[in-house]
Amino acid sequence: MNLIEATDLRKTYRLSRRTSIDALQGVDVSIAAGEMVAIMGPSGSGKSTLMHLLGLLHAPDTDDGPAPTLRINGVDATALSDGERTRIRARSMGFVFQSFNLVPTLTAEENVALAAEYAGTSGTAARVAARASLASVGLAERAGHRPMELSGGEQQRVAIARAFVNDPKLILGDEPTGNLDSARAVEVLGLLRRFNRERGQTVLIVTHDPDVGASCDRIIRMRDGRIIADERVREVRLVA
Amino acid sequence: MHILRELSRRKLRTSLTITGITIGIWALVVFSSLANQINGLVGMGSEYFADKIVVTDGMAFGTSPMRLDEVEIISGLEGVGAVQPKVELLWDPDPAVGFGAPDLLVGTIPGADAGFETFELELATGRQLTPEDTGNLVVLGSTIARKYDVVAGGTVEIRGEAFQVVGTLQPTMTSPDTTGLIPLSTAQALYLGDLPPLVAESLSAEDLANQIVVFPEAGADHAQVAAAIEAAVENSATITGAEFTETVGATTVIFNAIIIGVAAISLIVGGLSVINTMAMSVAERTREIGIRRAIGGSRRRIVRELVAEAGVIGLLGGLIGLGLGAAVVVLVNEAGRASGTVLFDLTPQTALFAVGFSTILGMMAGVIPAWTAARLDPVSALRYE
Repeated sequence: MNLIEATDLRKTYRLSRRTSIDALQGVDVSIAAGEMVAIMGPSGSGKSTLMHLLGLLHAPDTDDGPAPTLRINGVDATALSDGERTRIRARSMGFVFQSFNLVPTLTAEENVALAAEYAGTSGTAARVAARASLASVGLAERAGHRPMELSGGEQQRVAIARAFVNDPKLILGDEPTGNLDSARAVEVLGLLRRFNRERGQTVLIVTHDPDVGASCDRIIRMRDGRIIADERVREVRLVA
Repeated sequence: MHILRELSRRKLRTSLTITGITIGIWALVVFSSLANQINGLVGMGSEYFADKIVVTDGMAFGTSPMRLDEVEIISGLEGVGAVQPKVELLWDPDPAVGFGAPDLLVGTIPGADAGFETFELELATGRQLTPEDTGNLVVLGSTIARKYDVVAGGTVEIRGEAFQVVGTLQPTMTSPDTTGLIPLSTAQALYLGDLPPLVAESLSAEDLANQIVVFPEAGADHAQVAAAIEAAVENSATITGAEFTETVGATTVIFNAIIIGVAAISLIVGGLSVINTMAMSVAERTREIGIRRAIGGSRRRIVRELVAEAGVIGLLGGLIGLGLGAAVVVLVNEAGRASGTVLFDLTPQTALFAVGFSTILGMMAGVIPAWTAARLDPVSALRYE
């Protein structure tokens, strides 16, 4: 079964009255549950825009062409309100960003618990879940530290613990290894791969890095707002 | 706890904002306490005047002589239940200039109200005066009794003469506290001495009063009785309970206007500085708000957190302002207590209002920046440096 089914995704960003960027110019894509997919392409190719649409951070344009469709886990996501999209992000998605994006005033545990609370878990249970999630990325003993007191690799592991704390169906990574040295990058990628294998979670990574692409099941290549290639790197292990 | 941590990230700005609110709330507390005291006195006055008509000579309020035979005339009028002549004069003919009402001596005939008087004066020590009492006897109001540190059985000096204290009164928080009650004849003699010699020559002490208190019968129309008195007694003026309330109500209006003014200023200054602080805070935390929105924080939740933060700023300002205002109230009241000048009355309602007001003010001022924050596009907020 496909976790994501999308057709005719278009997005134009208006920069000023006269200039605008056609970031996506009609993209059809489907992602199977349990896949680990890399989206690759040069800057301005539309790969981040695609991820923002699939992650429900932005909505696809509905004018100037065939009506776009976007089904995530069987739900039509084109007609959702901001509140509904926020709720799906909170409960069914996890985000990992290039620059870690932890809340600076909160400890590692509080950062992870925040995502659990947003998903509707109450305070104490959220703390328990946060500690368990931090333990699963090997940071149990760093739970009380603020982001500033952690290395880049550690911060990104906290972000991964945050992304996985609600056991979401879909993990979206926006250059998750972009700010890490190669050893830390391998570590972070290994964690994403482990959760993908062990829990069957679907992982979608936007990346420049060919090594990251090579470690995924499938690579979607983009240029000028369109998909130009869709390669299977290895067979996907089917998830029940 | 998160909120305090967020606020402590911006110590200087937060504390300046809290200081602004503190000053506003301090002023609100002090002025409200002052108004409470004045409104309280006016309220007691209204209560005192409610069941009676006070008759004076019509020139200045109770300072010129009336004659006791006028009591007879008034007694005969329709609707009059009881008549009580009074002599009211200053305890000290040359009082020091100061806040509050000067101490008074009141001479009257105990029991002449025939049970109409509802404004009861309760004894702390000793006894009340009786109609048979004459000479230098006095029942002291609570503030005077404390000032001279005397109870029933002691003596005080009034206008150079020793008076025997036969009783002292419980505090009433109003004018009886600063009044000494003396027999009518004693007051008449003192009053005659206060009058200019030319006026005094033509008068005899036992004939004098400067106020006649009239208690209308139950059900009588006070305005009609007052009109009848003014018609029957030459050169007289009356004031009824309703007129008193109306006249002094003007004072209350001014004080209430001051409070509203202070509240409005603290609202504007405090509110603007909270808006500024929260707007700066939102700008600084654009990226953080983007993170929260991206990982599933709802707009409502973002608004709630920021409004709560602004509310805590208001609450802290309110509590500190209340604390400093209460300190002023207590210190000034303590300093004035010896001279019987109680300026402030800080009621629980005023305290609760001040703190509640500043908290709600903070929250309301936080709404606009919070709403701006919640409307941010998470993707562009995340790119914000």
